[in-house]
Amino acid sequence: MSQERAEPHYVLRLYITGSTTRSTRAIENLRRICEQHLPGRYDIEIIDIYTDPEAARDGQVIAAPTLVRIEPEPPRRIIGDLADEDRVVLGLELPRA
Amino acid sequence: MSRPPATSEDVDPAEWRRRALEAEARLVEADELLHAIQSGDVDAVVVGGPGETQVYTLENADRPYRVLIEQMQEGAVTVSGDGTVLYCNQRLAALLGQPRERVVGELLTDYIPARHRAPIARLIATCGTSGGKAEAAIVDATGRSIAVLFSFVELPPEGGSRMLCGIVTDLTEQKAHTAEISAANVRLTEEIVERERVEDALRQAQKMEAIGQLTGGVAHDFNNLLTIIRSSADLLRRHELTDEKRRRYIDAISDTADRAARLTGQLLAFARRQALKPETFDASVRVDQVTDMLRTVVGSRVQVTTEMRCGSCFVLADPSQFETALVNMVVNARDAMDGEGTLAITVDRAAQIPGAVITDGEAFVTIAISDTGCGIPADQIERIFEPFFTSKEVGKGTGLGLSQVYGFAKQSGGEVRVSSEVGRGTTFTVYLPEKEMEEAIPAAPRVPRPVRAGEHARVLIVEDNAQVGEFASSLLTDLGFDTTLATDAAAALASIDGAAQPFDIVFSDVIMPGMSGIELARLLRERHPDLKIVLTSGYSQVLAQEGTHGFDLLHKPYSVEGLSHILRDALAS
Repeated sequence: MSQERAEPHYVLRLYITGSTTRSTRAIENLRRICEQHLPGRYDIEIIDIYTDPEAARDGQVIAAPTLVRIEPEPPRRIIGDLADEDRVVLGLELPRA
Repeated sequence: MSRPPATSEDVDPAEWRRRALEAEARLVEADELLHAIQSGDVDAVVVGGPGETQVYTLENADRPYRVLIEQMQEGAVTVSGDGTVLYCNQRLAALLGQPRERVVGELLTDYIPARHRAPIARLIATCGTSGGKAEAAIVDATGRSIAVLFSFVELPPEGGSRMLCGIVTDLTEQKAHTAEISAANVRLTEEIVERERVEDALRQAQKMEAIGQLTGGVAHDFNNLLTIIRSSADLLRRHELTDEKRRRYIDAISDTADRAARLTGQLLAFARRQALKPETFDASVRVDQVTDMLRTVVGSRVQVTTEMRCGSCFVLADPSQFETALVNMVVNARDAMDGEGTLAITVDRAAQIPGAVITDGEAFVTIAISDTGCGIPADQIERIFEPFFTSKEVGKGTGLGLSQVYGFAKQSGGEVRVSSEVGRGTTFTVYLPEKEMEEAIPAAPRVPRPVRAGEHARVLIVEDNAQVGEFASSLLTDLGFDTTLATDAAAALASIDGAAQPFDIVFSDVIMPGMSGIELARLLRERHPDLKIVLTSGYSQVLAQEGTHGFDLLHKPYSVEGLSHILRDALAS
């Protein structure tokens, strides 16, 4: 338990709209940030709300791209292309690399 | 079972603090969302209603294209400059056997076997906006490798980072087709070889039948020729002969021997196995050359007439097949006439083939063989060119003859036509396209030269047949040569090594027991480069196969004049 507390596993879900520029930038940025701050302890799910609009509703997503931290709880949301790394780190409460 | 709602009394300060932070975080999120929408930092908003959820795209709608990409049966992918999958369509996900959510965000190279990674990474790095392709493979979820073609093109730069579109084509079926096609090709090649072998065998069978027909006739004719020679020789033995009569008998022997030589020459030329080798020749001349042979086929009770109406008329065909066709038609005519009647061979020209599509400007040479035989019934005329169709009794004919004529005519770009009237006779006409005369090289006229004395040149005659050897020896002695006779190559070598005076020339038969004449000649050329060598042979199969290796060759039977000239030419060279 103590180890889990020290290094929690992150499950992140990114809602995008196909291959629009902003969506693809969001994927790239997310990957880069995770590799830097959470190496080896994250899972990314990418959901295209064009092909699965219901998933957006279920996830209470109002706009895309939206990144949702599923785990650890509580959920956290960040809107946009995730270009501002500091904001992402802060919003997801990531450990500083 | 649920906890009663907390009241202000039983909530500790820590919990209050947590709730406040949570509320603050939510407020920040809501703020950010509003701000993002206001400032256009999102691509779409999701609006939930009582019915289905709608996604409103804020950027230019690319939906029709998305549907196209989604539905197409090629894998589609977009990757970032570092190879991260930004998008993949359903088809590619299916190929990889992975849900799309897993594939997107991964490195594309993670799905490519190690040995293909570098080329694909290079393709992504260098393809540029003009695009590029590379064959590689992908590995699906079960570990199976699938051959694919990657085709990438870089999108025009937009906002800094590189992005590429790619198409991934499954090559499994194509590879299977290619393999099938190449297997079919191998089978086809084998069948062609087999077919050529069978056709070769058929041609050989057709020729053997013709040769069988010919040898019968030639043997009969030969007996007649030998009779003339024999009786002339007998007559010459008589003492009380005038010079004039003596000369007449000698001429008769000489002429008859020439005729016999021509016959055997034709038979040998005919029997020599040759691949189909078309050459341009004058049909009139060729028919004329084999007429003697054809006469022997039909026998003396059939009168053979030839008429060359066209002068020089050149065709492009295999001469051996041409002659075989003539023999086959003549044999057919002979049998139709039951050995008695008139056979007319006519060489002519025709502007077209009756009943054939008119081809512009092409003229034909016709070779017509007419007989005065029984004719062919109308119900059989369709079938006469079928292989093995024969009206003859068992053992009299194989039915291959006319099928050869048909095959030859077709192969040579021509046709064969037959007209027949029962009880009156039949005419077979072979049409061959007329060709321009190739560089006609007129045979150098043979200038008869006087037989000159041998000036005591020393000749070593190598001949295994004692009679022929004695004959050659006495002939050359009469011509003034100094002769020595050896019965085989070994004896010849011994004579050469033991000779008190070196030989000037060796005159050797080709086919002998032990070392052949060619082997002997080669050995002598090596050991005694100055020694002249002339070979002689009646059957030149070996030479036809291997050539004369640069040695002079005198065909048997030879004349005194021919022998004298070739030896003298060799000595002078």
